[in-house]
Amino acid sequence: MTTTHPRRIGFKRWIVIALMIVGGVLAFGVGGIFKPLSPVVVLPPEPVWPGLNIPFTSIPLSNTFLATLLADVVLLGFAFGAWRFSKSGNLVPRGLYNFFEWLVEFLWNMTESAAGKWARRIFPIMAAIFLLVFTANMVKLLPGFESFGWMKEAHAKGYEAVPLFGGLYALDASKPVDKTAEHGGEGEAAATAEHSGEAAPAGAEAEEFCTEACEVVPFLRATATDINFTFALAVSSVVMTQVFGVWALGMKYFGKFINTGTMISKPLFGVIDFAVGLLELISEFAKILSFGFRLFGNIFAGALLLSILGALTAVVVPSALYGLEFFVGIIQAYVFAMLTLVFMSQATVSHHGDDHSAERSASGGEHAAAH
Amino acid sequence: MDQAAAEALVLGFKYIGAGLAAIGVLGGGIGIGIVAGGAVEAMGRNPDATPTIQTNMILGLAFSEATAIYALAVALIILFAA
Repeated sequence: MTTTHPRRIGFKRWIVIALMIVGGVLAFGVGGIFKPLSPVVVLPPEPVWPGLNIPFTSIPLSNTFLATLLADVVLLGFAFGAWRFSKSGNLVPRGLYNFFEWLVEFLWNMTESAAGKWARRIFPIMAAIFLLVFTANMVKLLPGFESFGWMKEAHAKGYEAVPLFGGLYALDASKPVDKTAEHGGEGEAAATAEHSGEAAPAGAEAEEFCTEACEVVPFLRATATDINFTFALAVSSVVMTQVFGVWALGMKYFGKFINTGTMISKPLFGVIDFAVGLLELISEFAKILSFGFRLFGNIFAGALLLSILGALTAVVVPSALYGLEFFVGIIQAYVFAMLTLVFMSQATVSHHGDDHSAERSASGGEHAAAH
Repeated sequence: MDQAAAEALVLGFKYIGAGLAAIGVLGGGIGIGIVAGGAVEAMGRNPDATPTIQTNMILGLAFSEATAIYALAVALIILFAA
């Protein structure tokens, strides 16, 4: 090992270093349109294009919804590819199909160890949640998310738009425009309806293309930064948990919430049990909150962190944070699916010590009938 | 007090409130530290149980992180939605 063959100096590392230097020089030396922008933080999702609705409805097509559709298309493409591979008769898994086989096996083992005989019924829901959240979190890391979009007149602070080529514009970070200083509050945004672009869609609002202070409304934004998505997922997860509970235990399932069973036999503890049951009821609703806010908070905070640190240090730090975001995306998808699985498998098991028969039959013993 | 000064005052208090709400993240951080520390210690004592410990650790992380996320959500609501 210590002998003399010349130390190989990788060529690629020089490309990377050169790109880093070029990026740094462009961002902080040249400036202009290359200067990183400080981000515009918007909580609600925004329309993809002014006046563009989801077909056959009057609901605006939001950028997070478009990103969800993109994730769906990617996921369906992968699923179709995996299905076609499994039909091809090739028994040795290879490439992407290998990954999918590993993933499904991993999820299935997890489900089976947690849910027992209910695994076959819980698995589709939990795996669907995992795959959707996972794909959405991976798709959002593509470049172009939250950076390309149409320009809107900013209400307070924006930047001057500089024409590039072919009707495209870029924001110039070195020319910030502060409207509050000039006008003293929000004002005549609707009056300055001067269409600077040629592709103005008919019937759109007047402030769709900006005149002085501009901000970008991205075409694509990470799916889970939309609170509607996370709460829809949380509500379906918790509702399906109740469905599984009733499926497994019948009407006895609701005895968990309105617990009057021990009220007569042990009056003092009966009251406590009743209060505990009410707490269980509250905790079902708290589950929706914590599911929804956990996913939303993690992904939104990640996006915020990326854009803010990207604005401060244009070159090296965002790359490292992309790695962190990759990790967080996987972990959050795993946590969402895992918690769904755990709650569902808990709901299929009776909680009370006194009726062992339900518990045994839920955990897969046939001999419980003799009890 | 004129209108602009009152608005500025409200905005200032909004930022203070969001900052105070973000203090709640402290508890989540401590909780995550305890969970991860305990899990690593357990894995060191019994490496064979690593998969089980890891699963439970991630669940515990998720639960204790949820409280921090509540604080974040409150801060975001104060800043952007209220």
